[in-house]
Amino acid sequence: MAELKTDHLVLNMGPQHPSTHGVLRLEVVLDGEVVIDVIPHIGYLHRCFEKHCEAMTYPMVIPYTDRMDYLASMYMNFGYVEAVEKLMNIEIPERVKYIRVIMGELQRIASHLVAIGTFGIDIGAFTPFLYCFRDRERILDLFEMTCGARLLYNYMWIGGLSHDLPPMFIPELKSFLKDFRKNIKELNDLLSYNKIFIERTANIGILPADTAINYGCTGPVLRGSGVNWDLRKNDPYSIYDRFDFEVCVGKGEIGTVGDCWNRYMVRVREMEQSCLIIEQAIEQLPEGDVTSAIPKRVKPPVGEIYFRVESPKGELGYHIISDGTVNPFRVKVRAPSFVNLQILPVISKGYLVADIIANLGSLDIVLGEIDR
Amino acid sequence: MAVKKRKKDLHFFERIYLVEIIKGLLLTLKHLFKPKFTLQYPEEKIEQAPSYRGRPVLVMDNGKERCVACGLCSRVCPALAIQVQASETEDEKERYPVLFEINMLRCIFCGFCEEVCPEEAIVMSKDYELVFTRYDDAIFGKDKLLVPVEKLKDRLEFVRTQMRK
Ligand code: SF4
Ligand code: SF4
Repeated sequence: MAELKTDHLVLNMGPQHPSTHGVLRLEVVLDGEVVIDVIPHIGYLHRCFEKHCEAMTYPMVIPYTDRMDYLASMYMNFGYVEAVEKLMNIEIPERVKYIRVIMGELQRIASHLVAIGTFGIDIGAFTPFLYCFRDRERILDLFEMTCGARLLYNYMWIGGLSHDLPPMFIPELKSFLKDFRKNIKELNDLLSYNKIFIERTANIGILPADTAINYGCTGPVLRGSGVNWDLRKNDPYSIYDRFDFEVCVGKGEIGTVGDCWNRYMVRVREMEQSCLIIEQAIEQLPEGDVTSAIPKRVKPPVGEIYFRVESPKGELGYHIISDGTVNPFRVKVRAPSFVNLQILPVISKGYLVADIIANLGSLDIVLGEIDR
Repeated sequence: MAVKKRKKDLHFFERIYLVEIIKGLLLTLKHLFKPKFTLQYPEEKIEQAPSYRGRPVLVMDNGKERCVACGLCSRVCPALAIQVQASETEDEKERYPVLFEINMLRCIFCGFCEEVCPEEAIVMSKDYELVFTRYDDAIFGKDKLLVPVEKLKDRLEFVRTQMRK
């Protein structure tokens, strides 16, 4: 009997698929249930960030950076304002530096909580998502108390902050950290070491360290593959060299180094390290004025700068070119999610359709940042 | 194409999952007796701090707007949401806006207009419930923007003491 002819099935996942974390379309080529190829189609959320910047003055770009990675707006602000300050050679007050680090690390926890919660939801665990969002809500309350917005903060300005911390901030933050430590333990019981969760994530989407480096992955995706690379340690910016913390890498105590579970676990551990950094920063927080160094007119000299920070998703770089006017000539962003998404076809090939969801969730992408 | 073989980490008893489900249920059961975290939104509302950035409004002093139509806010607005048209008046401030419009579909609640205003004439209110049924309704003229100064006391106080003025 002649061989039956079989054909590949092309399946469109998205752009409205709930587990693509935004408007991402995945063109999946299937052989039965086995994935042959995944082609991500991006651009549904393109808002011309870079073109906008050319028409804006430097401070007016800050609200636009908020809207790139809307789950980590503080960190987007952080990278941008530090880059412009470097370009202009502004020396900022000590207190500002500390508040920025506190805000940045709180934002890292909030961003990782979303990543963990939605990762759980993607593969069918609903309850941890609610607990993650409960904790994130408290961080957002802290942010709201400080700068008046819950998601798009516009808090860090070039040369300082829009205003100082409210008096209730530090006590509330301390009580949050105390509760949060317990909640991480609860999360580990409920999700991280849950056997069902392990079945879905361990040994899935294994990303070898050299492939991760070749593709330019950064952040928890790279560290999940066991590479010890964190810009906060390897290229310290701001005042991160003053704090004592560990870089978390995937150790492979469950599954294999570089699989979904290890990438997930890096995030859980990083939240603990962020707590440590915040605690040290509160201890050392000096008094002072936070608005004194804000320049009246932001007009950097002719020149260019590439400045990178470790955002919750990976290496966030701003390449700013100044032609000496009040408008930037070009603001190019190296977005971590954009680079991390490229790895999806590589780690999905040969696994089942359902594993694509796990792989994508473990990459923790934000489409606002990819499309910009 | 063949499925990639997975290395299995779990042995038979762990793969039954029953223990895991019971463990999870016990944990969620504990939460049943913890205080509630949610609010019944339309009935209960959050009390906002003075730092809260809701929709921008114009301050009304003695029945008139404070604004002198200098146009700084419309220049600094990153979303190009503000339109001001100036005219002259007999009052001591000499100029006033005949037309002051904020397009609430464009406004991104950044607060730059408030920060730049030399007269403390535009501030962020605590109003966040913005619903329109038509595009035209989203363009707020002076009739919707003007709010008596008494209602904005704590925000004005906050702007004066906390922000760079
Ligand atoms: S900056 Fe203030 S005074 Fe000037 S036009 Fe705007 S609201 Fe009026
Ligand atoms: S809050 Fe921002 S976007 Fe809205 S009107 Fe004021 S400056 Fe424009």
